[in-house]
Amino acid sequence: MHFSFSSIYEKTKTKELIAGLALVSVAVLLNMVFGYFAMAFAFYLSFFKWDYIGSMKFVGLSNYKIVFEDIIRGIHGAPYLLSPFYTGLKNILIYTAIVVPIQTFLAIVLAAFANQKIKGQQFFKVSYFLPATTSSVIVALIFVWLFMRNGFINYILTHFIPGFQPIDWLNNRNYLLLAIAMVAIWGTSGHFMVSFLAAMQAIPKEIYEAAMLDGAGPIKRFFYITIPMLKPMITYVVVMGLIGALQMFDLAWVMAGANGGPGGAGYTVALDIYNEAFTRIRPGVAAAKSWVLFAIIFTTTYIFQRKYGRAVR
Amino acid sequence: MNIKKISWLTITYLVLVAFALVYLMPFIRSLVASFMTWEQASKYPPEWIPNPFTLDNYRKLFRLELFPRWILNTSLYAGIIVAGNVIFSSMAGYAFARLRFPGRDALFSALLSLLMIPMFVTLVPNYIIIYKLGLIDNILGLSLLGLTNVSSIFLMRQYFLSISNEIFEAARLDGCGPIKSFFYIALPLAKPALGAIAVYQFLGSWNAFIGPLIFLRSPENFTLPVGLTFAFHRSMWTEYTPIIAGSLVASAPTIILFIVLNKYLIRGIVVTGGKG
Repeated sequence: MHFSFSSIYEKTKTKELIAGLALVSVAVLLNMVFGYFAMAFAFYLSFFKWDYIGSMKFVGLSNYKIVFEDIIRGIHGAPYLLSPFYTGLKNILIYTAIVVPIQTFLAIVLAAFANQKIKGQQFFKVSYFLPATTSSVIVALIFVWLFMRNGFINYILTHFIPGFQPIDWLNNRNYLLLAIAMVAIWGTSGHFMVSFLAAMQAIPKEIYEAAMLDGAGPIKRFFYITIPMLKPMITYVVVMGLIGALQMFDLAWVMAGANGGPGGAGYTVALDIYNEAFTRIRPGVAAAKSWVLFAIIFTTTYIFQRKYGRAVR
Repeated sequence: MNIKKISWLTITYLVLVAFALVYLMPFIRSLVASFMTWEQASKYPPEWIPNPFTLDNYRKLFRLELFPRWILNTSLYAGIIVAGNVIFSSMAGYAFARLRFPGRDALFSALLSLLMIPMFVTLVPNYIIIYKLGLIDNILGLSLLGLTNVSSIFLMRQYFLSISNEIFEAARLDGCGPIKSFFYIALPLAKPALGAIAVYQFLGSWNAFIGPLIFLRSPENFTLPVGLTFAFHRSMWTEYTPIIAGSLVASAPTIILFIVLNKYLIRGIVVTGGKG
Protein backbone atom coordinates (compact mmCIF):
# COMPACT_ATOMS: atom_id res chain seq x y z
CA MET A 1 0.00 0.00 0.00
CA HIS A 2 2.64 2.42 1.07
CA PHE A 3 4.86 1.44 -1.83
CA SER A 4 2.14 1.94 -4.45
CA PHE A 5 1.19 5.31 -3.00
CA SER A 6 4.74 6.59 -3.27
CA SER A 7 4.99 5.31 -6.84
CA ILE A 8 1.85 7.23 -7.77
CA TYR A 9 3.36 10.21 -6.02
CA GLU A 10 6.58 9.76 -8.00
CA LYS A 11 4.57 9.44 -11.19
CA THR A 12 2.68 12.70 -10.62
CA LYS A 13 5.94 14.37 -9.74
CA THR A 14 7.56 13.40 -13.04
CA LYS A 15 4.38 14.34 -14.83
CA GLU A 16 4.50 17.76 -13.21
CA LEU A 17 8.17 18.14 -14.09
CA ILE A 18 7.61 17.31 -17.75
CA ALA A 19 4.47 19.42 -18.00
CA GLY A 20 6.15 22.35 -16.25
CA LEU A 21 9.19 22.31 -18.48
CA ALA A 22 7.05 21.90 -21.58
CA LEU A 23 4.81 24.83 -20.66
CA VAL A 24 7.64 27.24 -19.91
CA SER A 25 9.89 26.08 -22.77
CA VAL A 26 8.85 28.54 -25.47
CA ALA A 27 8.84 31.56 -23.18
CA VAL A 28 12.15 30.64 -21.59
CA LEU A 29 13.82 29.79 -24.90
CA LEU A 30 12.79 33.04 -26.58
CA ASN A 31 13.79 35.13 -23.59
CA MET A 32 17.11 33.35 -23.28
CA VAL A 33 17.92 33.98 -26.94
CA PHE A 34 16.58 37.52 -27.42
CA GLY A 35 17.28 38.58 -23.84
CA TYR A 36 20.29 36.93 -22.24
CA PHE A 37 22.16 35.75 -25.31
CA ALA A 38 21.61 39.12 -26.98
CA MET A 39 22.85 40.92 -23.90
CA ALA A 40 25.99 38.80 -23.71
CA PHE A 41 26.48 39.20 -27.44
CA ALA A 42 26.22 42.99 -27.10
CA PHE A 43 28.98 42.84 -24.51
CA TYR A 44 31.14 40.66 -26.78
CA LEU A 45 30.41 42.89 -29.75
CA SER A 46 31.54 45.98 -27.86
CA PHE A 47 35.16 44.75 -28.11
CA PHE A 48 35.08 44.22 -31.86
CA LYS A 49 35.20 46.27 -35.01
CA TRP A 50 32.76 44.98 -37.58
CA ASP A 51 30.57 46.02 -40.51
CA TYR A 52 27.99 43.15 -40.32
CA ILE A 53 29.49 41.45 -43.41
CA GLY A 54 33.27 41.08 -43.13
CA SER A 55 35.13 39.36 -40.33
CA MET A 56 35.08 40.70 -36.78
CA LYS A 57 38.29 42.32 -35.62
CA PHE A 58 39.12 42.38 -31.91
CA VAL A 59 39.95 45.93 -30.86
CA GLY A 60 39.93 45.66 -27.07
CA LEU A 61 38.57 48.71 -25.32
CA SER A 62 38.88 51.06 -28.27
CA ASN A 63 35.09 51.24 -28.82
CA TYR A 64 34.70 52.45 -25.25
CA LYS A 65 37.60 54.82 -25.87
CA ILE A 66 35.62 56.30 -28.76
CA VAL A 67 32.69 56.90 -26.41
CA PHE A 68 34.73 58.53 -23.65
CA GLU A 69 36.77 60.67 -26.06
CA ASP A 70 33.45 61.85 -27.47
CA ILE A 71 32.31 62.86 -23.98
CA ILE A 72 35.58 64.68 -23.24
CA ARG A 73 35.46 66.51 -26.57
CA GLY A 74 31.91 67.55 -25.72
CA ILE A 75 32.89 68.85 -22.31
CA HIS A 76 35.57 70.95 -23.98
CA GLY A 77 32.89 72.50 -26.14
CA ALA A 78 33.24 70.63 -29.45
CA PRO A 79 30.33 71.07 -31.89
CA TYR A 80 27.64 68.42 -31.66
CA LEU A 81 28.66 66.56 -34.81
CA LEU A 82 32.07 65.86 -33.25
CA SER A 83 30.59 64.79 -29.93
CA PRO A 84 27.24 63.16 -30.74
CA PHE A 85 27.16 60.95 -27.65
CA TYR A 86 27.90 63.85 -25.34
CA THR A 87 25.22 65.94 -27.05
CA GLY A 88 22.69 63.13 -26.72
CA LEU A 89 23.64 62.57 -23.10
CA LYS A 90 23.41 66.23 -22.17
CA ASN A 91 20.04 66.60 -23.88
CA ILE A 92 18.59 63.47 -22.37
CA LEU A 93 19.63 64.50 -18.85
CA ILE A 94 18.03 67.92 -19.25
CA TYR A 95 14.97 66.29 -20.77
CA THR A 96 14.69 63.77 -17.92
CA ALA A 97 15.10 66.52 -15.34
CA ILE A 98 12.19 68.38 -16.93
CA VAL A 99 9.88 65.50 -17.75
CA VAL A 100 10.03 63.14 -14.77
CA PRO A 101 9.28 65.62 -11.94
CA ILE A 102 6.56 67.43 -13.87
CA GLN A 103 4.79 64.30 -15.10
CA THR A 104 4.89 62.72 -11.63
CA PHE A 105 3.66 65.88 -9.93
CA LEU A 106 0.91 66.43 -12.49
CA ALA A 107 -0.21 62.80 -12.24
CA ILE A 108 -0.48 62.98 -8.44
CA VAL A 109 -2.31 66.29 -8.42
CA LEU A 110 -4.81 65.23 -11.07
CA ALA A 111 -5.38 61.89 -9.33
CA ALA A 112 -5.99 63.70 -6.03
CA PHE A 113 -8.55 65.99 -7.65
CA ALA A 114 -10.28 63.09 -9.40
CA ASN A 115 -10.27 60.96 -6.26
CA GLN A 116 -13.30 62.65 -4.72
CA LYS A 117 -17.02 62.06 -4.77
CA ILE A 118 -17.58 63.74 -8.13
CA LYS A 119 -19.64 63.04 -11.19
CA GLY A 120 -17.85 62.01 -14.38
CA GLN A 121 -14.78 60.44 -12.82
CA GLN A 122 -14.78 57.86 -15.59
CA PHE A 123 -14.86 60.58 -18.24
CA PHE A 124 -11.81 62.32 -16.75
CA LYS A 125 -9.94 59.04 -16.42
CA VAL A 126 -10.59 58.20 -20.07
CA SER A 127 -9.64 61.70 -21.28
CA TYR A 128 -6.37 61.75 -19.37
CA PHE A 129 -5.46 58.24 -20.41
CA LEU A 130 -6.29 58.70 -24.10
CA PRO A 131 -2.86 60.11 -25.13
CA ALA A 132 -1.22 57.02 -23.67
CA THR A 133 -3.20 54.74 -25.97
CA THR A 134 -1.91 56.45 -29.08
CA SER A 135 1.45 55.69 -30.66
CA SER A 136 4.07 58.21 -29.60
CA VAL A 137 5.14 58.57 -33.23
CA ILE A 138 1.65 59.45 -34.30
CA VAL A 139 1.29 61.83 -31.40
CA ALA A 140 4.55 63.44 -32.48
CA LEU A 141 3.34 63.76 -36.07
CA ILE A 142 0.25 65.63 -34.87
CA PHE A 143 2.31 67.83 -32.58
CA VAL A 144 4.71 68.78 -35.39
CA TRP A 145 1.73 70.49 -36.94
CA LEU A 146 0.50 71.99 -33.66
CA PHE A 147 3.99 73.38 -32.92
CA MET A 148 4.37 75.14 -36.28
CA ARG A 149 5.08 78.85 -36.16
CA ASN A 150 1.53 79.62 -37.20
CA GLY A 151 0.25 76.69 -35.27
CA PHE A 152 -2.29 76.05 -32.59
CA ILE A 153 0.06 76.02 -29.60
CA ASN A 154 1.46 79.46 -30.33
CA TYR A 155 -2.10 80.67 -30.74
CA ILE A 156 -3.18 79.30 -27.36
CA LEU A 157 -0.07 80.61 -25.61
CA THR A 158 -0.40 84.13 -27.03
CA HIS A 159 -3.95 84.15 -25.71
CA PHE A 160 -3.19 82.92 -22.22
CA ILE A 161 0.20 84.50 -21.56
CA PRO A 162 0.25 88.24 -21.98
CA GLY A 163 3.15 89.46 -24.12
CA PHE A 164 3.97 85.99 -25.45
CA GLN A 165 5.62 86.11 -28.86
CA PRO A 166 5.07 83.12 -31.20
CA ILE A 167 8.06 80.76 -31.25
CA ASP A 168 9.23 78.59 -34.10
CA TRP A 169 9.46 75.67 -31.66
CA LEU A 170 10.87 72.94 -33.86
CA ASN A 171 13.36 75.08 -35.77
CA ASN A 172 14.74 76.94 -32.81
CA ARG A 173 17.53 75.17 -30.95
CA ASN A 174 16.52 76.80 -27.68
CA TYR A 175 12.98 75.44 -27.72
CA LEU A 176 13.11 72.13 -29.57
CA LEU A 177 13.89 69.99 -26.52
CA LEU A 178 11.29 71.83 -24.47
CA ALA A 179 8.66 71.12 -27.13
CA ILE A 180 9.57 67.41 -27.09
CA ALA A 181 9.38 67.42 -23.28
CA MET A 182 5.94 69.01 -23.39
CA VAL A 183 4.67 66.29 -25.72
CA ALA A 184 6.15 63.60 -23.48
CA ILE A 185 4.49 65.06 -20.40
CA TRP A 186 1.20 65.29 -22.23
CA GLY A 187 1.55 61.71 -23.43
CA THR A 188 2.49 59.92 -20.23
CA SER A 189 1.17 61.87 -17.23
CA GLY A 190 -2.37 60.57 -17.78
CA HIS A 191 -1.15 56.99 -17.71
CA PHE A 192 0.55 57.57 -14.38
CA MET A 193 -2.47 59.47 -13.10
CA VAL A 194 -4.53 56.30 -13.49
CA SER A 195 -1.92 54.35 -11.52
CA PHE A 196 -1.98 56.94 -8.75
CA LEU A 197 -5.75 57.01 -8.69
CA ALA A 198 -5.83 53.24 -8.18
CA ALA A 199 -3.27 53.49 -5.39
CA MET A 200 -5.24 56.30 -3.73
CA GLN A 201 -8.44 54.30 -3.81
CA ALA A 202 -6.63 51.53 -1.97
CA ILE A 203 -5.88 53.84 0.98
CA PRO A 204 -8.27 52.95 3.84
CA LYS A 205 -11.07 55.48 4.19
CA GLU A 206 -10.87 55.40 8.00
CA ILE A 207 -7.58 57.26 8.00
CA TYR A 208 -9.15 60.18 6.15
CA GLU A 209 -12.22 60.13 8.36
CA ALA A 210 -10.10 60.27 11.48
CA ALA A 211 -8.13 63.19 10.07
CA MET A 212 -11.33 64.99 9.15
CA LEU A 213 -12.59 64.63 12.70
CA ASP A 214 -9.35 66.22 13.83
CA GLY A 215 -10.18 69.11 11.52
CA ALA A 216 -7.66 68.51 8.76
CA GLY A 217 -8.71 70.19 5.50
CA PRO A 218 -8.24 68.67 2.04
CA ILE A 219 -4.79 70.20 1.54
CA LYS A 220 -3.50 68.98 4.90
CA ARG A 221 -4.98 65.53 4.26
CA PHE A 222 -3.21 65.46 0.90
CA PHE A 223 0.22 66.25 2.34
CA TYR A 224 0.00 64.30 5.59
CA ILE A 225 -1.91 61.20 4.46
CA THR A 226 -2.07 60.78 0.71
CA ILE A 227 1.57 61.56 -0.15
CA PRO A 228 3.14 59.32 2.55
CA MET A 229 0.76 56.46 1.72
CA LEU A 230 1.65 56.76 -1.96
CA LYS A 231 5.38 56.48 -1.44
CA PRO A 232 5.81 53.03 -3.07
CA MET A 233 3.75 54.14 -6.07
CA ILE A 234 5.72 57.37 -6.40
CA THR A 235 8.96 55.37 -6.42
CA TYR A 236 7.55 53.06 -9.07
CA VAL A 237 6.33 55.91 -11.28
CA VAL A 238 9.59 57.84 -10.99
CA VAL A 239 11.67 54.75 -11.80
CA MET A 240 9.46 53.93 -14.80
CA GLY A 241 9.61 57.56 -15.86
CA LEU A 242 13.41 57.61 -15.59
CA ILE A 243 13.80 54.42 -17.61
CA GLY A 244 11.46 55.76 -20.30
CA ALA A 245 12.92 59.26 -20.46
CA LEU A 246 16.55 58.17 -20.58
CA GLN A 247 15.79 55.95 -23.59
CA MET A 248 13.63 58.46 -25.44
CA PHE A 249 13.67 57.81 -29.18
CA ASP A 250 10.33 58.05 -30.99
CA LEU A 251 9.47 61.67 -30.20
CA ALA A 252 12.95 62.90 -31.09
CA TRP A 253 12.97 60.85 -34.29
CA VAL A 254 9.83 62.59 -35.56
CA MET A 255 10.05 66.05 -34.00
CA ALA A 256 13.80 66.62 -34.41
CA GLY A 257 14.72 64.07 -37.09
CA ALA A 258 17.38 61.34 -36.93
CA ASN A 259 20.13 63.98 -36.77
CA GLY A 260 18.64 65.80 -33.84
CA GLY A 261 17.34 68.94 -35.54
CA PRO A 262 18.93 72.40 -35.43
CA GLY A 263 22.26 72.32 -33.61
CA GLY A 264 21.51 68.78 -32.44
CA ALA A 265 19.15 70.26 -29.85
CA GLY A 266 16.85 67.23 -30.04
CA TYR A 267 19.56 64.57 -30.31
CA THR A 268 19.34 61.72 -27.79
CA VAL A 269 21.55 58.82 -26.74
CA ALA A 270 19.02 56.39 -28.22
CA LEU A 271 19.17 58.20 -31.58
CA ASP A 272 22.96 58.05 -31.39
CA ILE A 273 22.95 54.29 -30.77
CA TYR A 274 20.58 53.87 -33.70
CA ASN A 275 22.78 56.00 -35.97
CA GLU A 276 25.92 54.24 -34.86
CA ALA A 277 24.45 50.82 -35.61
CA PHE A 278 22.53 51.51 -38.79
CA THR A 279 23.84 54.74 -40.38
CA ARG A 280 27.53 54.73 -39.51
CA ILE A 281 27.53 50.89 -39.57
CA ARG A 282 29.64 50.50 -36.45
CA PRO A 283 27.74 47.86 -34.43
CA GLY A 284 30.66 47.51 -32.01
CA VAL A 285 30.58 51.18 -31.08
CA ALA A 286 26.77 51.02 -30.87
CA ALA A 287 27.06 48.09 -28.44
CA ALA A 288 29.59 49.99 -26.31
CA LYS A 289 27.29 53.02 -26.24
CA SER A 290 24.32 50.88 -25.28
CA TRP A 291 26.28 49.45 -22.34
CA VAL A 292 27.17 52.96 -21.22
CA LEU A 293 23.47 53.89 -21.46
CA PHE A 294 22.60 50.79 -19.43
CA ALA A 295 25.12 51.80 -16.77
CA ILE A 296 23.57 55.28 -16.60
CA ILE A 297 20.00 53.97 -16.34
CA PHE A 298 21.00 51.36 -13.80
CA THR A 299 22.88 53.78 -11.52
CA THR A 300 20.18 56.45 -11.73
CA THR A 301 17.32 54.11 -10.89
CA TYR A 302 19.42 52.28 -8.29
CA ILE A 303 20.34 55.49 -6.48
CA PHE A 304 16.75 56.64 -6.57
CA GLN A 305 15.45 53.37 -5.19
CA ARG A 306 18.12 53.26 -2.48
CA LYS A 307 17.17 56.74 -1.42
CA TYR A 308 13.40 56.60 -1.62
CA GLY A 309 12.41 53.06 -0.84
CA ARG A 310 12.71 49.67 -2.37
CA ALA A 311 11.51 48.66 -5.81
CA VAL A 312 7.83 47.98 -6.03
CA ARG A 313 8.19 44.79 -7.98
CA MET B 1 -18.60 75.33 5.87
CA ASN B 2 -21.02 74.89 3.02
CA ILE B 3 -19.55 77.74 1.00
CA LYS B 4 -16.12 76.24 1.58
CA LYS B 5 -17.33 72.90 0.28
CA ILE B 6 -18.94 74.41 -2.81
CA SER B 7 -15.93 76.50 -3.68
CA TRP B 8 -13.69 73.47 -3.25
CA LEU B 9 -15.92 71.48 -5.59
CA THR B 10 -15.84 74.31 -8.11
CA ILE B 11 -12.04 74.37 -8.06
CA THR B 12 -12.00 70.59 -8.49
CA TYR B 13 -14.20 70.72 -11.55
CA LEU B 14 -12.34 73.68 -13.03
CA VAL B 15 -9.01 71.88 -12.74
CA LEU B 16 -10.35 68.56 -14.02
CA VAL B 17 -12.18 70.09 -16.98
CA ALA B 18 -9.24 72.34 -17.89
CA PHE B 19 -6.90 69.36 -18.00
CA ALA B 20 -9.42 67.20 -19.84
CA LEU B 21 -9.37 69.94 -22.49
CA VAL B 22 -5.56 69.95 -22.56
CA TYR B 23 -5.45 66.17 -23.03
CA LEU B 24 -8.26 66.01 -25.57
CA MET B 25 -7.53 69.15 -27.58
CA PRO B 26 -4.92 67.69 -29.97
CA PHE B 27 -7.37 64.94 -30.89
CA ILE B 28 -10.29 67.33 -31.38
CA ARG B 29 -8.17 69.78 -33.31
CA SER B 30 -6.86 67.05 -35.64
CA LEU B 31 -10.29 65.55 -36.14
CA VAL B 32 -11.65 68.91 -37.28
CA ALA B 33 -8.61 69.69 -39.42
CA SER B 34 -8.72 66.33 -41.16
CA PHE B 35 -11.88 67.56 -42.94
CA MET B 36 -10.25 70.84 -43.98
CA THR B 37 -8.09 71.80 -46.90
CA TRP B 38 -4.48 72.46 -45.91
CA GLU B 39 -5.05 76.08 -46.80
CA GLN B 40 -7.68 76.37 -44.11
CA ALA B 41 -5.99 74.11 -41.56
CA SER B 42 -2.84 76.25 -41.60
CA LYS B 43 -4.67 79.53 -41.13
CA TYR B 44 -3.81 81.81 -38.23
CA PRO B 45 -5.81 82.36 -36.08
CA PRO B 46 -7.10 78.78 -36.33
CA GLU B 47 -10.55 78.11 -37.74
CA TRP B 48 -12.93 75.54 -36.32
CA ILE B 49 -15.53 74.80 -38.96
CA PRO B 50 -14.32 73.03 -42.11
CA ASN B 51 -15.21 75.23 -45.04
CA PRO B 52 -15.38 73.65 -47.53
CA PHE B 53 -15.98 70.33 -45.80
CA THR B 54 -13.71 67.92 -47.63
CA LEU B 55 -12.97 64.20 -47.54
CA ASP B 56 -10.01 64.77 -49.82
CA ASN B 57 -7.42 64.06 -47.14
CA TYR B 58 -8.83 60.60 -46.50
CA ARG B 59 -9.24 59.99 -50.24
CA LYS B 60 -5.59 60.89 -50.86
CA LEU B 61 -4.56 58.55 -48.10
CA PHE B 62 -6.42 55.54 -49.41
CA ARG B 63 -5.45 56.30 -52.97
CA LEU B 64 -1.88 55.88 -51.81
CA GLU B 65 -1.36 52.23 -52.68
CA LEU B 66 0.69 51.48 -49.60
CA PHE B 67 -1.65 52.83 -46.94
CA PRO B 68 -4.05 49.85 -46.93
CA ARG B 69 -0.97 47.59 -47.04
CA TRP B 70 0.36 49.27 -43.89
CA ILE B 71 -2.96 48.74 -42.12
CA LEU B 72 -2.85 45.07 -43.09
CA ASN B 73 0.76 44.68 -41.95
CA THR B 74 0.06 46.34 -38.62
CA SER B 75 -2.97 44.12 -38.04
CA LEU B 76 -0.96 41.01 -38.88
CA TYR B 77 1.85 42.03 -36.56
CA ALA B 78 -0.52 42.94 -33.72
CA GLY B 79 -2.47 39.70 -34.27
CA ILE B 80 0.63 37.52 -34.02
CA ILE B 81 1.90 39.34 -30.92
CA VAL B 82 -1.45 39.12 -29.14
CA ALA B 83 -1.88 35.43 -30.00
CA GLY B 84 1.68 34.61 -29.00
CA ASN B 85 1.37 36.33 -25.66
CA VAL B 86 -2.03 34.85 -24.87
CA ILE B 87 -0.76 31.34 -25.61
CA PHE B 88 2.86 31.27 -24.45
CA SER B 89 2.66 33.71 -21.56
CA SER B 90 -0.36 32.00 -20.05
CA MET B 91 1.37 28.62 -20.40
CA ALA B 92 4.49 29.92 -18.69
CA GLY B 93 2.54 31.89 -16.09
CA TYR B 94 0.55 28.80 -15.16
CA ALA B 95 3.63 26.62 -14.84
CA PHE B 96 5.47 29.20 -12.75
CA ALA B 97 2.47 29.62 -10.45
CA ARG B 98 1.02 26.14 -10.15
CA LEU B 99 3.52 23.42 -11.02
CA ARG B 100 6.55 22.32 -9.08
CA PHE B 101 9.71 21.48 -10.96
CA PRO B 102 13.39 21.95 -10.19
CA GLY B 103 14.80 25.32 -11.19
CA ARG B 104 11.38 26.92 -11.39
CA ASP B 105 12.08 29.88 -9.13
CA ALA B 106 15.54 30.44 -10.57
CA LEU B 107 14.11 30.50 -14.11
CA PHE B 108 11.39 32.90 -13.08
CA SER B 109 13.72 35.35 -11.40
CA ALA B 110 16.02 35.11 -14.42
CA LEU B 111 13.09 36.23 -16.59
CA LEU B 112 12.17 39.02 -14.18
CA SER B 113 15.72 40.37 -14.23
CA LEU B 114 15.30 40.96 -17.96
CA LEU B 115 12.86 43.76 -17.12
CA MET B 116 15.83 45.85 -16.03
CA ILE B 117 17.66 45.55 -19.36
CA PRO B 118 17.04 48.54 -21.61
CA MET B 119 15.87 47.46 -25.05
CA PHE B 120 18.75 49.36 -26.66
CA VAL B 121 21.25 46.89 -25.20
CA THR B 122 19.69 43.94 -27.00
CA LEU B 123 18.71 45.83 -30.16
CA VAL B 124 21.85 45.40 -32.27
CA PRO B 125 22.42 41.72 -31.36
CA ASN B 126 18.77 40.92 -32.05
CA TYR B 127 19.08 42.63 -35.41
CA ILE B 128 22.05 40.38 -36.16
CA ILE B 129 20.20 37.23 -34.99
CA ILE B 130 17.16 38.01 -37.13
CA TYR B 131 19.47 38.92 -40.01
CA LYS B 132 21.28 35.56 -39.73
CA LEU B 133 17.91 33.79 -39.70
CA GLY B 134 17.15 35.54 -43.00
CA LEU B 135 14.08 37.20 -41.50
CA ILE B 136 14.91 40.88 -41.93
CA ASP B 137 12.16 42.79 -43.73
CA ASN B 138 9.67 40.14 -42.64
CA ILE B 139 6.80 40.69 -40.23
CA LEU B 140 7.28 37.14 -38.92
CA GLY B 141 10.90 37.81 -38.05
CA LEU B 142 9.93 40.96 -36.21
CA SER B 143 7.13 39.13 -34.38
CA LEU B 144 9.54 36.52 -33.07
CA LEU B 145 10.99 39.16 -30.73
CA GLY B 146 7.68 39.96 -29.06
CA LEU B 147 6.03 36.54 -29.03
CA THR B 148 6.34 36.35 -25.27
CA ASN B 149 6.82 39.15 -22.86
CA VAL B 150 8.09 39.08 -19.31
CA SER B 151 5.37 41.48 -18.11
CA SER B 152 2.60 39.26 -19.49
CA ILE B 153 4.16 36.16 -17.93
CA PHE B 154 4.36 38.05 -14.63
CA LEU B 155 0.74 39.16 -14.87
CA MET B 156 -0.49 35.65 -15.71
CA ARG B 157 1.54 34.14 -12.86
CA GLN B 158 0.08 36.65 -10.39
CA TYR B 159 -3.38 35.82 -11.64
CA PHE B 160 -2.95 32.05 -11.38
CA LEU B 161 -1.51 32.46 -7.89
CA SER B 162 -4.66 34.30 -6.86
CA ILE B 163 -6.96 31.41 -7.84
CA SER B 164 -7.67 29.26 -4.82
CA ASN B 165 -5.83 25.99 -4.54
CA GLU B 166 -8.87 23.77 -3.86
CA ILE B 167 -10.14 23.70 -7.39
CA PHE B 168 -6.79 22.42 -8.66
CA GLU B 169 -6.58 19.89 -5.81
CA ALA B 170 -10.04 18.57 -6.67
CA ALA B 171 -9.06 18.21 -10.30
CA ARG B 172 -5.89 16.35 -9.36
CA LEU B 173 -7.86 13.92 -7.17
CA ASP B 174 -10.14 13.28 -10.11
CA GLY B 175 -7.08 12.23 -12.06
CA CYS B 176 -6.67 15.37 -14.08
CA GLY B 177 -3.02 15.84 -15.14
CA PRO B 178 -1.25 19.19 -15.05
CA ILE B 179 -1.66 19.88 -18.77
CA LYS B 180 -5.32 18.90 -18.74
CA SER B 181 -6.05 21.10 -15.74
CA PHE B 182 -4.32 23.98 -17.50
CA PHE B 183 -6.65 23.75 -20.49
CA TYR B 184 -9.87 22.82 -18.71
CA ILE B 185 -9.60 24.70 -15.44
CA ALA B 186 -6.92 27.38 -15.44
CA LEU B 187 -7.52 28.88 -18.88
CA PRO B 188 -11.29 29.32 -18.63
CA LEU B 189 -10.83 30.93 -15.22
CA ALA B 190 -8.16 33.27 -16.55
CA LYS B 191 -10.31 35.14 -19.06
CA PRO B 192 -10.04 38.55 -17.33
CA ALA B 193 -6.24 38.32 -17.17
CA LEU B 194 -6.03 37.04 -20.75
CA GLY B 195 -8.20 39.96 -21.82
CA ALA B 196 -5.94 42.40 -20.05
CA ILE B 197 -2.74 41.10 -21.66
CA ALA B 198 -4.44 40.88 -25.06
CA VAL B 199 -5.51 44.52 -24.93
CA TYR B 200 -2.19 45.61 -23.49
CA GLN B 201 -0.16 43.74 -26.11
CA PHE B 202 -2.44 45.00 -28.86
CA LEU B 203 -1.77 48.60 -27.86
CA GLY B 204 1.94 47.92 -27.62
CA SER B 205 2.31 46.19 -30.97
CA TRP B 206 -0.07 48.43 -32.89
CA ASN B 207 1.88 51.46 -31.69
CA ALA B 208 5.37 49.92 -31.87
CA PHE B 209 7.91 52.03 -33.67
CA ILE B 210 11.56 51.25 -33.16
CA GLY B 211 11.28 47.49 -33.82
CA PRO B 212 9.40 47.88 -37.12
CA LEU B 213 11.69 50.78 -38.07
CA ILE B 214 14.78 48.62 -37.78
CA PHE B 215 13.58 45.18 -38.80
CA LEU B 216 11.46 46.17 -41.81
CA ARG B 217 13.18 47.52 -44.88
CA SER B 218 10.85 47.92 -47.86
CA PRO B 219 7.93 50.37 -47.78
CA GLU B 220 5.39 47.66 -48.67
CA ASN B 221 6.29 45.82 -45.47
CA PHE B 222 6.06 48.84 -43.15
CA THR B 223 3.61 49.12 -40.30
CA LEU B 224 1.46 52.24 -39.90
CA PRO B 225 3.68 54.27 -37.54
CA VAL B 226 6.77 53.66 -39.68
CA GLY B 227 4.89 54.20 -42.92
CA LEU B 228 3.45 57.49 -41.77
CA THR B 229 6.79 58.92 -40.64
CA PHE B 230 8.27 57.68 -43.90
CA ALA B 231 5.55 59.47 -45.87
CA PHE B 232 6.17 62.52 -43.74
CA HIS B 233 9.95 62.51 -44.09
CA ARG B 234 9.99 62.05 -47.84
CA SER B 235 7.36 64.77 -48.01
CA MET B 236 5.06 62.86 -50.28
CA TRP B 237 2.72 65.64 -49.42
CA THR B 238 3.62 69.29 -49.21
CA GLU B 239 0.41 69.78 -47.28
CA TYR B 240 0.03 68.35 -43.83
CA THR B 241 -3.67 67.51 -43.66
CA PRO B 242 -3.39 63.99 -45.17
CA ILE B 243 -0.78 63.17 -42.49
CA ILE B 244 -3.22 64.33 -39.82
CA ALA B 245 -5.97 62.21 -41.38
CA GLY B 246 -3.57 59.27 -41.55
CA SER B 247 -2.60 59.72 -37.90
CA LEU B 248 -6.25 59.62 -36.92
CA VAL B 249 -6.92 56.50 -38.97
CA ALA B 250 -3.85 54.86 -37.45
CA SER B 251 -4.87 55.66 -33.89
CA ALA B 252 -8.59 54.99 -34.35
CA PRO B 253 -8.45 51.26 -33.45
CA THR B 254 -6.57 51.82 -30.21
CA ILE B 255 -8.74 54.78 -29.24
CA ILE B 256 -11.97 52.91 -29.94
CA LEU B 257 -10.69 49.81 -28.19
CA PHE B 258 -9.73 51.90 -25.18
CA ILE B 259 -13.05 53.71 -24.98
CA VAL B 260 -14.95 50.42 -25.21
CA LEU B 261 -12.72 48.42 -22.88
CA ASN B 262 -11.25 51.11 -20.63
CA LYS B 263 -12.28 49.42 -17.38
CA TYR B 264 -10.56 46.22 -18.45
CA LEU B 265 -7.44 47.96 -19.58
CA ILE B 266 -7.10 50.22 -16.59
CA ARG B 267 -7.45 47.18 -14.37
CA GLY B 268 -4.67 45.51 -16.36
CA ILE B 269 -2.42 48.49 -15.91
CA VAL B 270 -3.14 48.56 -12.23
CA VAL B 271 -2.27 44.87 -11.97
CA THR B 272 0.97 45.16 -13.96
CA GLY B 273 2.14 48.38 -12.48
CA GLY B 274 0.20 49.01 -9.38
CA LYS B 275 0.42 47.01 -6.23
CA GLY B 276 3.13 44.41 -6.35
